[in-house]
Amino acid sequence: MLKNRLYRISFLVLLVVLLFCFFINISLGSVAIPFKATINSLLGIEIDNSSWAYIIYNYRLPKAITAILVGSGLSICGLLMQTLFRNPLAGPFVLGISSGASLAVALLIMGASFLPTWIAAFIMTDVALVLFSGIGSFLVLAAVLLVATRVKDTMALLIIGLMFGSITSAVISVLSYFTNAEKLQQYIFWSFGSLGNLSWNQLGLLLIVILIGVGLSIAALKSLNGLLLGENYARSMGVNIAIMRYVIITATGLMAGAITAFAGPIAFIGLAVPHLTKQIFTTTDHKILLPAVAIYGALLMLLCDTIAQLPNSASVLPINAITSIIGAPVVIWLLVRKRKMIF
Amino acid sequence: MKRLLLISFIIFASCKPKEVETTVASTVDKTYQISHAKGFTIEKLINGITRITVSSPWPESEKKYTYALVLKDKLNELSLNKSDYDAVIGVPVEHVVVTSTTHVPALEALGVLEKLVGFPGTTYVSSIEARKRIDSNLIAELGSNEAINTELTLSLNPDLVVGFGVNSQNKIYETLIQSNISVVYNGDWTEETPLGKSEWIKFFAPFFGKEKQADSIFSAIEASYTDSKQLALKGETKPTVLSGALYKDIWYLPGGNSWATQFITDANADYIWKDTKETGSLSLSIESVLEKGKDADIWISPSQFTAYDELAKSSPHYTQFSAYKNRKIHTYALTAGATGGLLYYELAPNRPDMVLKDLIHIFHPDLLPDHSPYFFKPLN
Amino acid sequence: MSKIEKENITLKAENLSIGYRTKKQSTIIGSPIDFSILQGEIMAIIGINGVGKSTLLRTLGSIQPKLSGTIYIDGEEIERYTHKSLSEKVSLVLTEPIASKNMTVWELVALGRQPYTNWIGRLTKNDQLKIEEALILVEIEALKEKPCYQLSDGQLQRVMIARAIAQDTSILLLDEPTTHLDLYHKAHILKLLRTTAHTTKKTVVLTTHEIELAIQLCDKMLLLEENRSHFGQPCELIATKVFENIFPKDLIQFDGITGAFQVIK
Repeated sequence: MLKNRLYRISFLVLLVVLLFCFFINISLGSVAIPFKATINSLLGIEIDNSSWAYIIYNYRLPKAITAILVGSGLSICGLLMQTLFRNPLAGPFVLGISSGASLAVALLIMGASFLPTWIAAFIMTDVALVLFSGIGSFLVLAAVLLVATRVKDTMALLIIGLMFGSITSAVISVLSYFTNAEKLQQYIFWSFGSLGNLSWNQLGLLLIVILIGVGLSIAALKSLNGLLLGENYARSMGVNIAIMRYVIITATGLMAGAITAFAGPIAFIGLAVPHLTKQIFTTTDHKILLPAVAIYGALLMLLCDTIAQLPNSASVLPINAITSIIGAPVVIWLLVRKRKMIF
Repeated sequence: MKRLLLISFIIFASCKPKEVETTVASTVDKTYQISHAKGFTIEKLINGITRITVSSPWPESEKKYTYALVLKDKLNELSLNKSDYDAVIGVPVEHVVVTSTTHVPALEALGVLEKLVGFPGTTYVSSIEARKRIDSNLIAELGSNEAINTELTLSLNPDLVVGFGVNSQNKIYETLIQSNISVVYNGDWTEETPLGKSEWIKFFAPFFGKEKQADSIFSAIEASYTDSKQLALKGETKPTVLSGALYKDIWYLPGGNSWATQFITDANADYIWKDTKETGSLSLSIESVLEKGKDADIWISPSQFTAYDELAKSSPHYTQFSAYKNRKIHTYALTAGATGGLLYYELAPNRPDMVLKDLIHIFHPDLLPDHSPYFFKPLN
Repeated sequence: MSKIEKENITLKAENLSIGYRTKKQSTIIGSPIDFSILQGEIMAIIGINGVGKSTLLRTLGSIQPKLSGTIYIDGEEIERYTHKSLSEKVSLVLTEPIASKNMTVWELVALGRQPYTNWIGRLTKNDQLKIEEALILVEIEALKEKPCYQLSDGQLQRVMIARAIAQDTSILLLDEPTTHLDLYHKAHILKLLRTTAHTTKKTVVLTTHEIELAIQLCDKMLLLEENRSHFGQPCELIATKVFENIFPKDLIQFDGITGAFQVIK
């Protein structure tokens, strides 16, 4: 069909743009490195300046890949949640999922001091960190879902999410008040990672988790489309709502949890990207939307990171500030044109 | 019209309440010598009042705080225009509350530790003498840092609270002042030189009538510092130095005109960012720190990290630095008091001579071969 | 002969009681219901507000559980069907608004093919053919690229019917498909459903308040009252004068000859 061909071309163009942004992101940073040196170093050709080589290969490259994973993962989470909750304002950050992840990590780190040393050493690994933050996200998500089935109002869900966020951050504050300084320090180091601080091993772990999440999302694609009409219609078309809910919450929990564990809470990407995507791809078919939001999310995240690096200046901005500046107006815009809430 | 109104308003507002300066009673008899600290002055007035003026209680403070210290038995005889002063304190002070760990060593050195009755966040205090008094409940816990508990403080009814503010918003102290408790602001932390910070011991002295002791203590520290600085110049090499660590995406490290940089320079080493203008800290991206600091010989004060594998675990990029590879990282985070407070935060501002000797020992091991480092220890 | 007739009964209820079940108790609405409809027939469920029309329809569509009795679909008890196999037997048009109005008419109708598509929902040639057929049947071909939020109520209702038709089930259940429509569109929808039932040999069950139109257009009618239910062809029900008792007689009377209600002035 004509439309399908159009999509195919769009995806091709998007991938090229993504690749381009990827190279731009890698070639720009605080330290001015000539483009040629960037390309050479990426191609594995030895370049004279060894700290440049390190910066490109071990700092900028993993950072760019992390940005892609984080952007795609969060955007997919946002898409899944908006369809699951049938609510255009759903997103991992807005609904307090990220704070759920933070809380679980806080409990892990500050609680580990009460366990025998060898167990504590065992659970203080990256895998445990991802697992805990995943469980934290999952639980908050399940709780929000439980409330959401009783309260159908769009605004109510948003407020409930905010409350969950507040509660979890409050619990973290209380916990940090009672814990000792070193544990708190450790929590701060562990929980608020950043795009640029992942080792290749951690990056691998993040990649695996995101792939599992994407896999689950693909498995749920058909059901997600069915859910566009509401649960009763979806059920009448053969969708097993209960199983599907678990699949979606697990996928979202895993992805949002792992991302929060490694890159810290990142605001608004998950909420904004699905809407921006739907403005451009005028479809509701998740077969198209899923890859589209993934690519757009990656693009936007790379862009935000490039801006945050303030190329050629020695300073950097917090990535969260940039995503909020871009994301928050999207939410306002959504609220203003609520009547035609597209999702 | 509107603009005219605005301008006249500004003029009106700006010439409103200038304090009336000179009356006969406030004629200065004698000014105490303060040679390094820039944030305060002490003057003896002819009517016997000691006037302390704190000009920088916090950075860029627009207001100067003046305090009148009057001997307790003369407090009633003296007619004093109280509105000329931000606080009038009867001396010698018998019960004092201080709010920063940096205040504690000054009291200890002046021999007036027994007058200290309360402190917010006592777990951060490391001084052995002070800890003894905390453990026997002679120094009361007054809540956590920056949030001194009003009720507990009022119940102690101290003669004096030595506070510190980060800006002009200090609601907690305002409440205390309204309850007739004398609060004075200590601005030691705004000083930009090691000896300047340390000279704030002279700020405490008049409250306890210990001016002479303060002078001699400070002179000794000054002499020791100057001697060490001279000694450092004999060093044949000038190692390059890196400092700080990442927090989230940002590497915080001392600016070129900061207190910490001054130490490095005085210890005859080459701090890589010594030419920057900041008096506080720099916030840089890891890229630029990597590019400039990768080959630095020595890395001091990597934030709170105490071990090499801790650094590596936190960020793989740390391992790229020569100082990491050659195991040349030194930290103050390994020297803690009995309850975990870092001694460096408490004592270093008071004893710059000891800090300098530590650094000389690190940068030029042959100059002070027998020195055993007090604050800075190699990472585990 | 009887065997053939039995095969043609697509939907049958025996001693069925409906209502809501909470943890503590179950609230029965109305009285036990019995009916059976043949393939290609259209049946209207009528009754006053709150008598349980929608509840019955939702129970037949297994959106909510029955309290007791039996429902047979193509001769099998409804419990014996899985989600999947039931979705190939029964399709629904509900009163609840659809969650996303952003999809195009074609996309919405295409969702009707979900029970037949593969795991990722790929539409085959046959699926696309069925979708086009459904669009033609309800005469909305021209709208197929339009997003749903641009449609009028009547158009959206037809789109939802097209989706149910595309689901290609033997039974179509519709909850009040004629509300919010003017008389012309009411008649149009009901006629459309009648034609659909007769030409595609599907069994159509709908709830409606349009008793007069239903009498004219439906093959069977089920009248729910608080303590009993009546089932039969419209003429049979007129003959037994059940319509005369639906509404309070001092206000509305039924004329058995014209098949119409009259307000007492």
